[in-house]
Amino acid sequence: MTDSMDFNELEEEVTLETEVTPEQRSHVNAGSRLYRGLTTFDFVGRRRTWFTISAVIIIAGLVALGFRGLNLGIDFKGGSSWQVLAPGVSQSEAVSAVTAAGLTQPTVEILGGKTLLVEADLNSLSKADQAKISANVIAALAKLGNTVPNNVSSSTVGPTWGGQVTERALLALLAFFLAVILYISFRFEPKMALAAFLAMVHDLLVTVGIYAIFGFQVTPDTVVAVLTILGYSLYDTVVVFDRVRDNTKPFAASGRMTYSAMVNLSMNQTLARSINTSLVAILPVLSVLLVGAELLGAVTLQSYGVALTVGLLSGAYSSIFIAAPLLAMLKEREHKYVAVRNRLTAKGQKAAVTMSPQEAARMSLSAPAANTGGSSRGPVATATRTVSTSTLGSQSQAPVIAPKPRKQKKR
Amino acid sequence: MSPAPLGGRSRRGLIVSLLLVLVIAFGSLIATLAAGWSPKLGLDLAGGTSLVLVPSHKVSNAELDQTVAILSNRVDGLGVSGATVQTQGNQIVVSVPGVNNGRALAAELVTTAQLYFRPVECFANAYTTPTAKNAPANPLNLPACNSAYELTAANINVQQAPNTVQGYTSNNIPPDPQYDVYPSTKPLNDNQHAEVLLPGAPGSGSERYFLGPAELTGTAVHSAVAEQDQTGQWVVNCTLTSSGSAAWDSLTKSLFHQYLGIDLDGVVVSAPIIQPTQTSWTSFQGQVQISGSLTQASANTLAIALNYGSLPVPLTILTSETVSPTLGHSALVAGLAAGLAGLFLVLLYVILYYRLLGLVVVLGLAVTAAFLWALISALGQTSVAPSFDLAGITGLIVSIGITVDSYIVYFERLKDETRSGRTVRTSLDRGFASAWRTVVAADTVSLLAAVLLYFIAVGDVKGFAFFLGLSTILDLFVTWFFTRPTVVLLGRNESLTSMRGFGIAKGLAVGAPA
Repeated sequence: MTDSMDFNELEEEVTLETEVTPEQRSHVNAGSRLYRGLTTFDFVGRRRTWFTISAVIIIAGLVALGFRGLNLGIDFKGGSSWQVLAPGVSQSEAVSAVTAAGLTQPTVEILGGKTLLVEADLNSLSKADQAKISANVIAALAKLGNTVPNNVSSSTVGPTWGGQVTERALLALLAFFLAVILYISFRFEPKMALAAFLAMVHDLLVTVGIYAIFGFQVTPDTVVAVLTILGYSLYDTVVVFDRVRDNTKPFAASGRMTYSAMVNLSMNQTLARSINTSLVAILPVLSVLLVGAELLGAVTLQSYGVALTVGLLSGAYSSIFIAAPLLAMLKEREHKYVAVRNRLTAKGQKAAVTMSPQEAARMSLSAPAANTGGSSRGPVATATRTVSTSTLGSQSQAPVIAPKPRKQKKR
Repeated sequence: MSPAPLGGRSRRGLIVSLLLVLVIAFGSLIATLAAGWSPKLGLDLAGGTSLVLVPSHKVSNAELDQTVAILSNRVDGLGVSGATVQTQGNQIVVSVPGVNNGRALAAELVTTAQLYFRPVECFANAYTTPTAKNAPANPLNLPACNSAYELTAANINVQQAPNTVQGYTSNNIPPDPQYDVYPSTKPLNDNQHAEVLLPGAPGSGSERYFLGPAELTGTAVHSAVAEQDQTGQWVVNCTLTSSGSAAWDSLTKSLFHQYLGIDLDGVVVSAPIIQPTQTSWTSFQGQVQISGSLTQASANTLAIALNYGSLPVPLTILTSETVSPTLGHSALVAGLAAGLAGLFLVLLYVILYYRLLGLVVVLGLAVTAAFLWALISALGQTSVAPSFDLAGITGLIVSIGITVDSYIVYFERLKDETRSGRTVRTSLDRGFASAWRTVVAADTVSLLAAVLLYFIAVGDVKGFAFFLGLSTILDLFVTWFFTRPTVVLLGRNESLTSMRGFGIAKGLAVGAPA
């Protein structure tokens, strides 16, 4: 958790007074505030910033894509590759050895300081020549690795294979998009489906863009990883939207706060979870990339690791900064929420007022709709809260704000 | 919202659920280990050769299935254990563990299979490596049979009753010893118009056959079926095509009472005598029955060979990949090390963050891991599941995030509940009810992705999707039957909740000074 972030400017937006005063808060670092549910970040209000960041990355990616295209692996172009464990062999030694064996323009890569990966395109040669050169390369690599030819891995790919993998993957992707839109529309609502879908498209564009910008090699494994990422990004979005749905009735539909404010609240409520989950998801994936591919030199793990890392970061980002603000934008256009916003603005309340999860929790407990369970043994039961008039409206909204005397539940 | 009614909220119900999960998880793990089962490793981890073949033109599913049946036969004929032939969309994937004959196998499989009917000119013994003295000048230049060993109708002298030396023959004609030093003709050199020296079907003995040029190929056979005749003997009944029928008649007329070798891909799968029970040749009228010392298995093999001897469609190799066992092993080590390192960091993080509840995650992951190992090992005994490859390991590593997220969602909900002034104890059920809805919704999405990927995509994607889906289902199971009872039981214990520094309340930031 980073403590170096500066949230001071957000303090001004915290207008609801509780036992914790803003002065006290400023002494508490961001991680700790997150831990205690005191955060009040305005995710929706700053959507221009988030959208701009994404737009910059996506446009840069598209430009790179237009000029350089993707660095396609042999699975897409067709070609041959060989692998051998040869610790201590240098790149130039390897290149001269395989060139001597008959390869023209080979690409040689050394992973983890020991796995030698050689790629070349032999598809223009006759079958007999291909077999001969491949046998020569295998012999040369076996010599480099100080081992027998059976310990050299080889792979030959016709030019159409990668196309078939991609075709099926795109088919799977379309089916997945359709199924997801139907599922979310049915289980949540169509506007959430739209926002979640756009967030996925965002992740797809960002990942492809990053691959184009940095020239990472695209293999069928990359395609697999991207599909997983989309599933994961959506998973993340669904968790956030689930909370938005839970909050809609008590907070937004009741006219207590604008839809955007309610989304902000939901985001703050799921923020700790989002950060924790992203960390928990990214740690193993980083480990795949750093330990599996770089340190131990497993080639397949490298293809997965890069795509998964880029995609997971993008997915975690898009659930918070793209999907939720988009949803708020879409919903704010509905008559119901326009009315809520107008009414609250007329009362002099800022449209994007934010409330910390802790305050919301207490509020929801005091709201009639939620006042059914729970006990009052906590410190809150005796706390008095005063509300400044500039925040949550006038005293006419008494049931919402006034500390309601609660019955001591019999146990 | 009111807390959703949860089944088994009684203390006893929870304890029973928890104990059952622990017993089933670790019981099945121990049973798997005791049975000596382990996951079926993919070729990229165990080493081996895999080929992806594609028909050169569009074929029906039935034709594709035939092709797979023939390829399976051929692969089996090569005597490699553990080889598989599967369809994947319109492609055929051949996997052969071990690399010793991997590259050669690739060449052999793509040579178009051929079925030839050849006259057997004489028998030969098994090949013995020649000494310098008796080595033939050119082992590919096969000499003609010596007349003493020739399988002419006169030499064989077929009797009409099956009471003679070799079935219907009255003379026992021994193999021609001059072929001992000649190696069998390679399948690649099994030329229709040449004389060839071929082995019998695997398991049929070491005798070989010297055969004349083929005058008829498998295209003459319309269909063949293995059946039992009235006496219960296994026979193969063939129906010939109309043009094949005429050619068959002229061939068998010239070979009446002699051996006809059925040569499939350079192996004599059967060598029956023509019409041994008849005194004179009669037309087959397009119906042929092959009988004599056939078992159910050998009859079926022969029927398949006759039916589809040549593949219904030529195949081209899309990809061929050979992974050396040493590289495979180092990939396995790398995958496992990456997984364990990632897991360790994750566990460290949740313990630091959630304290005692973090330990629940550790135990929960141990339960999940036990289940997974048992399931993957058990599935490895069947052909249902894809083999466990590097893509599968990656699927599992990704699923760590999804699995641990279920705990995080629950714990953060608990936090929410305690923030509204409830105690840990009173938040447990309410928190689980809302967390459960989230977990189900999110896991459904993950499962949707896995199922669609599994059924639509090809290649490594399948293994990836399978293991991702498997662990998602396990996640739902473990969340309901393990996490819920464990957290609820722990949370009801006052001293565990309020334990200084490590208690649940500390992990949930309850009562922490702001």
